[in-house]
Amino acid sequence: MKEIKDILDPENIKSFVPGNYRWFDVLYVSGQSTPISFKNNRLHSINQSQSSGIGVRINRDGKTGFSYTNNLQHVKETFIRAYEISRYCEEEGFDLPGDTKVLFEPFNPEIDNFDPLMEIEQAREFIASMEKDFNDISIDIGINAAKGFVHLVNSNGLSLSYRDSYYSASISTTLILDKGVRLDLWDSKSELRPVRWDELRLKLTDKIKRAITIEKISSGLYPVIFPPQAFGSLLGIVLSGLNGVAIWKGISPFCGKIGEKLFANRLTVYDDPFIEGSPFQIPFDAEGLSVSRKKLINEGVVERFITDLKYGERLGVGSTGNASRGYSSIPSPSFNGIVVEPGDEPFESLIKGIKRGIIAEQFIGLGQSNTLLGDFSANLDLAYLVEDGEIKGRVKDCMISGNIIDLLKGEFYLSSDRERKGSSLLTYAMFPAINIVA
Amino acid sequence: MSQLEEIASGLSLLLQNLKCDFAEIRLTQGVGQSISLAMDQVDSISSGEVVGGSVRVLKNGSWGFVTFNDLSNIESFVKSAMDCASLSPSGKSGVAKYSASVKNFSTPFVEDLKSISFEEKFEIISKYNDIIKNSPKIQTTKSIYRESTGKYIYLNSEGTQLSYDRMHCGISLTAVAKDGTIIQPFHDSISGYGGFEIVRHREAMAERVIKIAIDMLEAEPLAGGVYNIIADPRLSGVFIHEAFGHLSEADFVYENESMRKQMVLGREFALPDFTVVDDGGIESLSGYIPFDDEGIAPQKTYLIKNGILTGRLHSRETAFKMNEETTGNGRAIGVMRQPIVRMTNTYIENGPYQKDDLFAAMDDGIYALDVIGGQTNLEMFTFTAGYGYRVKNGKLGKMFRDVVLSGNVFTTLKNISMIANDRQMFGGLGGCGKGGQSPLPVSYGGPHVFIKDVLIGGKQ
Repeated sequence: MKEIKDILDPENIKSFVPGNYRWFDVLYVSGQSTPISFKNNRLHSINQSQSSGIGVRINRDGKTGFSYTNNLQHVKETFIRAYEISRYCEEEGFDLPGDTKVLFEPFNPEIDNFDPLMEIEQAREFIASMEKDFNDISIDIGINAAKGFVHLVNSNGLSLSYRDSYYSASISTTLILDKGVRLDLWDSKSELRPVRWDELRLKLTDKIKRAITIEKISSGLYPVIFPPQAFGSLLGIVLSGLNGVAIWKGISPFCGKIGEKLFANRLTVYDDPFIEGSPFQIPFDAEGLSVSRKKLINEGVVERFITDLKYGERLGVGSTGNASRGYSSIPSPSFNGIVVEPGDEPFESLIKGIKRGIIAEQFIGLGQSNTLLGDFSANLDLAYLVEDGEIKGRVKDCMISGNIIDLLKGEFYLSSDRERKGSSLLTYAMFPAINIVA
Repeated sequence: MSQLEEIASGLSLLLQNLKCDFAEIRLTQGVGQSISLAMDQVDSISSGEVVGGSVRVLKNGSWGFVTFNDLSNIESFVKSAMDCASLSPSGKSGVAKYSASVKNFSTPFVEDLKSISFEEKFEIISKYNDIIKNSPKIQTTKSIYRESTGKYIYLNSEGTQLSYDRMHCGISLTAVAKDGTIIQPFHDSISGYGGFEIVRHREAMAERVIKIAIDMLEAEPLAGGVYNIIADPRLSGVFIHEAFGHLSEADFVYENESMRKQMVLGREFALPDFTVVDDGGIESLSGYIPFDDEGIAPQKTYLIKNGILTGRLHSRETAFKMNEETTGNGRAIGVMRQPIVRMTNTYIENGPYQKDDLFAAMDDGIYALDVIGGQTNLEMFTFTAGYGYRVKNGKLGKMFRDVVLSGNVFTTLKNISMIANDRQMFGGLGGCGKGGQSPLPVSYGGPHVFIKDVLIGGKQ
C-alpha cells in the first residue's frame, strides 16, 4: 500500500482519472483524538480514535461527479466512481483556484502536552467540588484532544495543507429537585490547546443556585434577555437566510433584498474565519479559496450572502470562500465563524434596567417552527425571572414565541461583553417585549 | 469468505484469551449511494465506501475504546484498548453476561438493490420529484433517494460471533410552497431494511406532501393557550418516543436516586387502556436489529402495561448496574461509536375506541397531525405538529399551522383519556439523536389518542 503523500502527489494523482476531464479536486483529511468520558460522576471510558478519508470531485464535459472512501487501498476505484457519476450531474462552469497561499495553521503544538491522567484528575476535582455544593448532582464530562491534517489537491496545480488542533471540555449536570422538577445545565469550552476549565464550575454553580427557587408568572409580554448561546441559536435562524443555497432556491426572506436596511442600526454581524483562539479557524475553504472577514449585516443593512463556487456561479457573484465539507460530502456554503458587533452597556447594566422580565438560557424545541420566516416557539428549559434588576428564581412550564426577524427590526440592546461559543463570538441581547405563554 | 470475514477470523480467539472482564470487536464494510434533486436540477449525487472498526475492553471496572478505519493491524488496536482500560483502573462499570451465540443474518428483500441500475434509481426519485415540482405555488423541492448495503461483524470475549448482511433504502420528499411572502415547507420520508420495493409506488406520498404544503399557505398560526387535542398516529408515535421512551432508557435512571424513585416499576402512569412497547425484532421496520451492538438479541419489552410502569430499556452496563435482565437496547450509530441505551421500534398499543369515538367526544379542541420535530428534557417536552384543525362538536373546522405543543411528561400521560384502535408505524430516512449520536434508525407509532389540557405556544 502506498503512503498517502505519494497518493496525493499532483503528478501521481492524475494517473487515477480514467478519462478526459476539465478539472478535478481531491480532499484528504485525517485525525487522531483521545476522548475521555465521565458518566454519573465517575470515569467511564478512555478512548482513542484514528480516522482518515478521501473525497474526489471530477468535472467531465462540464458536469461534476463525486465519490469518497475511507479505505485508502481503494483510491483508484473512488476516482472511477466519481467519473461515472458525473454524467448524471448538472453543468457547472466554474473553475478551481490555482494559487491560494496558506498563511497560518489553526494548530498549537501544546496539544501534544495533553495528559489523560492530568485531565482525569482535573475532572475528579471538579466533580468532588460540585458534589460538596449539591447532594445527588449527576455530572457527565467529556474531554477531548485531537490533531488533524487537511490536504487539498486540484488539477490547477493547487496542493495545500494544514494541521489543526482541538481541545474541548463539555460538562452537563442534572439535579432532580422536589416534585420531580428536573434541572439540566450544560456548558463547554473549546480551544486550540489543553487549558484549565475551573471557571465553568463557578458559572454552573451560580446558575444552579439561582434556579432552585421556582417563581410563577402569568402569560403576557415580558422584556427578555438572551445570553450569548441562546442569542446565537436565534440569530442562526436569521443567518440561515443568508446562505447562498436558500437565496438560490428562493426560500430566504432576504431574496432580492441585499443592500436593503432590514434590521435596526445596532445590528452588525460578520462572517469571520479568524476568531482569536478558536479551534474552528481555517486558512482556506474546502475548495481551496482564500478566506476573509466580511460584513454580513452592517448597521441593519443586509450586505451579502455566502456562497461556494457552485452557488457563487449560479447567483453570479462568485465564491465568497465559504465552502465547507468533510471528505464524504460535496462542498456547500457554510459560515466560517459568526461575530456580533458589541453594544454599549455590559450585561450587568442591561439586567439592572429590568423591572420585571425574563432571562432565557436554554430552550426545548427551538427551530421546529417555520424558521424560513423567522418564527420561533419553544418551551423554556431554563429561564429566570428578573425583578427590579435582580434574579428572583427560575420560571418554568411556559413557552416563548415570536419572530426573530421582526424582533431585530425593532428596539433591542446588545451587551458590550461577548463570549465565544464554538465558532461564534456573541453578545447578550435584550428585547423589551416578547410573548410568553404560561 | 468476504474480505471482512477474513480479517475477522482469528480475532474471536484473541478476545477470549484477553486478560480482562469483557471485550468486543465490531467491524463494518459497506457502500452507500444518494441522489438529491431540487426542482429541475440535480442537487447532488454521491457514492462512496466506508470501512471501520472498534475495540472495546472492560478491565477492572474501566472501559477502553479504540476506533479505526485501518483494518490492517487490528491486534495493535486491541492492545491500545487494553492500555486505555488499564490507565485509570478505579471505575465501577460492569456488564450483564449473555449466552454466546454464532449466527449469520441477512436482510430479507424482494428486489436486490445491487440488481437495480443507477438509472432506475435516478428515474424513480425523478418521478416523485416531478409530481411535486409540477404543482402550482411550489417554490422548491428536495427529493432524496438513499441506500446503503454492507456487512457488519460483531465478536466478543464470551465467544459470540455474529454477522449481518444488511440492505437499507428510503426516500425523503420535501415541498416548499410559496405565496407572496409566505413560505411553507412540508416533508415526509420512508425507509426500512429491505430492497427496492420499499421505495416503489410512493406517488401518494408525493401528492400528500404538496397538498399539505399548499393548504398550509392559507392556514393561520394557532393562538397560544390550553387545548384538548386529538393526536394522529404519527404525532402520538413521536410523543411516546420522545416524551416517554427516552425516560425508559435506563442510563437516565440507573445512578440517579431521585429518578429511580420516580421511575419505580409498578407505579401507575396512565389509564388502564394504555400500553407502550419497544420491540427491535420487527423485521420490516426502520428500528429493526437482528442483534444489538453488544451482541444481544432484540426482544419485545413492555414499558407500560395497562397503565402501570412495567419495564425499561437496557444496555449490558445498565442491566448489570440495576441487576435487571438485558433487553437488547445497547445501540450505536456506527462501529466507531460506543453503544448506549436506545430505542428500536416504539409504539402505543391499540386501545378500545374507534377513531370516530374520539371526535364524538370532542366539543372544542384541536386535531393535531404529523410532526415537524420533538424534543424533551425528560420532564418537559415540546413537539411541533405539522398542522392541525379546529374541532367543534366533533366536526373538523379551520386549518392551522405552527401547532407547537408543550407540557410535563407525567401530567400529559395522565391526561390521555381515550385511545383508538388504528395504530400505524412510521420511520423515515432520519432518526433519533442522543449523546451526540444521530441519526439512529428507529420507528415509532400509535393509534389516535385524545389528550386533555395541552399547552400550545403562540400569540394570544
